[in-house]
Amino acid sequence: MLSKMKTTAAAAAVASAFAVPASAELTGDLTIFLDTSNPAPRATMEAMIARFGEKHPDLNIETTVIDREAYKTQIRNFLTANAPDVATWYAANRMRPYVEAGLFEDVSDLYAEPAIAEGLASTKGALTIDGKQWGVAYTYYQWGVYYRKDIFDELGLSEPTNWEEEKANCGKIVASGRACYTIGTKYLWTAGGWFDYLNMRTNGFDFHMDLAAGKVSWEDERVKQTFMNWKELIDMGGFIADHQTYSWQEALPFMVNGEAASYLMGNFAVAPLREAGLTDDQLDFYQFPVINPDVELSEDAPTDTFHIPANAKNKEAAREFLRFATSPEEQTIINNGKNLGQLPVNAASSVDDDKFLQQGFKMLSTNSTGGVAQFWDRDAPAEMAKVSMEGFQEFMVKPDQLDKILAKLERARGRIYK
Amino acid sequence: MFPKPIEKQSQAAQVAYKSLLPVALAFWLAPLLAVALFSVKPDADFTSGNYWGLPSSFEGATNYGQVFFNSDMPRYLLNSFMITIPTVIGAVALSSMTGFALGIYKFRANLWIFFMFVAGNFVPFQILMVPVRDLTLELGLYNTKTGLVLFHVAFQTGFCTLFMRNFIRALPFELIEAARVEGVSEWRIFWYVVLPLMKPALAALSVLIFTFIWNDYFWAVVLTQGIESQPVTAGITSFNAQFRAAYHLMSAGSIVAALPPVAMFFLMQRHFIAGLTLGAVK
Repeated sequence: MLSKMKTTAAAAAVASAFAVPASAELTGDLTIFLDTSNPAPRATMEAMIARFGEKHPDLNIETTVIDREAYKTQIRNFLTANAPDVATWYAANRMRPYVEAGLFEDVSDLYAEPAIAEGLASTKGALTIDGKQWGVAYTYYQWGVYYRKDIFDELGLSEPTNWEEEKANCGKIVASGRACYTIGTKYLWTAGGWFDYLNMRTNGFDFHMDLAAGKVSWEDERVKQTFMNWKELIDMGGFIADHQTYSWQEALPFMVNGEAASYLMGNFAVAPLREAGLTDDQLDFYQFPVINPDVELSEDAPTDTFHIPANAKNKEAAREFLRFATSPEEQTIINNGKNLGQLPVNAASSVDDDKFLQQGFKMLSTNSTGGVAQFWDRDAPAEMAKVSMEGFQEFMVKPDQLDKILAKLERARGRIYK
Repeated sequence: MFPKPIEKQSQAAQVAYKSLLPVALAFWLAPLLAVALFSVKPDADFTSGNYWGLPSSFEGATNYGQVFFNSDMPRYLLNSFMITIPTVIGAVALSSMTGFALGIYKFRANLWIFFMFVAGNFVPFQILMVPVRDLTLELGLYNTKTGLVLFHVAFQTGFCTLFMRNFIRALPFELIEAARVEGVSEWRIFWYVVLPLMKPALAALSVLIFTFIWNDYFWAVVLTQGIESQPVTAGITSFNAQFRAAYHLMSAGSIVAALPPVAMFFLMQRHFIAGLTLGAVK
């Protein structure tokens, strides 16, 4: 008995030192619900779970994959009625309702372990509510400006680092008969990305989060300043015309055909641009430029997460799975180009040899000191996100209506956050 | 009442008609042609804005191969057949019996019952969405093919009964009276006298209901939600990945999904047109 305790303690010490999952024998059932229903992510996850199973042969693992959209409605049901031991979800405000309803397990103890505390520091904030952590991230991807390097070279431009350079670049691009930015706002969210960046660069991460949480008035002067910066780009003809009729994919041809020079988008835009024939010499990436030098840089990086439901039955095994999934080795494998093709969350893991992933990883781990936002429609409550993104789109088409739009959003704020 | 036949119009009108008709046809078919064109294009053509031009490379085999061998489409197609065929059989069987009862027997509530079947057709089905969903949930039939079949049978029987009753009414009543005089039981009259005479109506109605149910999207989305039960009309959206919509595969999938009702139409064209005009002229 005593010797067994000793080995367990030794194993735990080894585990915390090397971040190797403790090989304490796990038994019983482990049910995992996944929303990674697309073929490639699904195969990635199933392979990872199989590797976990090999390490714990006595554990009976049962995996259920649910269609990503259906999952969003089913989660309310299964967390209360028929909870699995591990469930996928999203960070920040998207997990707030379940945290507040007491349906997710507090996993702050995991973040107290040195290996996790150091490895997962970059996404810790996104998983923290009320000073506690409620899950772990397993993948995320960067946002930023993807641009046509060949067009920049032709016009003699370099990557802008501040707002003045940005506007100067845009002026030259417009003068050459192109638009600076392509965008398709038909489904609204793309305009949300622009608002995220403009507001975070103008007023900082904390202000942006306060606005998402309904603590700041939409008619505040600082919010107006964000829109004034936006208006400068709109007024100089920086965005493509009729963007409200395109989806984000339908806005890609402008970039491919050289009618627009850049695209503020998530890293998932790279794959179709490459398929359409743009080489890595033609396509490049830069971080959204500084607007207000007094605020720290912060980025959008939507994060997918694992959680342990409060009603889970095998929490010990579930914790072990969370340790395993975020370990540097697994993070390296599941996020490489053959699998998810996104960024690993563990600072100790290596990033796939891809120009854009490399730049994104560097940006997020060293140059995003202000914080990591999840994207407007994940950070703001769903109803406010919808109303406000409609407002952003309207503003991009009719910038002179700003006061009216902000008044409308302010009324919505009064109604939505009680 | 009828428009004057085109041959009797003036020369100018005839020329205008003949030259405008192909133009109108092209406009009208443009969306369908676009889908067909997309189904043989590579994904990159969409990203580079080559919407109407020739495919930059011919990817028909790849796209259709993906649809058949590397997606859930075969499963969705099978679901569609497993929903459509029982519905056709159920609705046609039920309505030939109700049509027989309402067409042959004279009883007091006859007309009112008939009106109820007809009135069912005038209920906009959207207003039934929430109650029907709740009903299937309580019966444990939500997200099952059985639930969808039962609902379709119930909803289609109204129209089918109208159709069958009017057809049976038009049959010579003397045939039935003669059989009765011979002492044939009512059940056998239905089976051996009326049913054989109804063959054209049965064929026409089956073709109509087949296309109705195959093309149903609304109820497929409301009452089912997974690969185990959704028909192909709803399953097409499974080509939407997390970030991107695979328009080339969706187009190929749509063409495949449209084939059975189109094939049905061409094979049974005679019955289909008969079905639409049956009872229109006495």
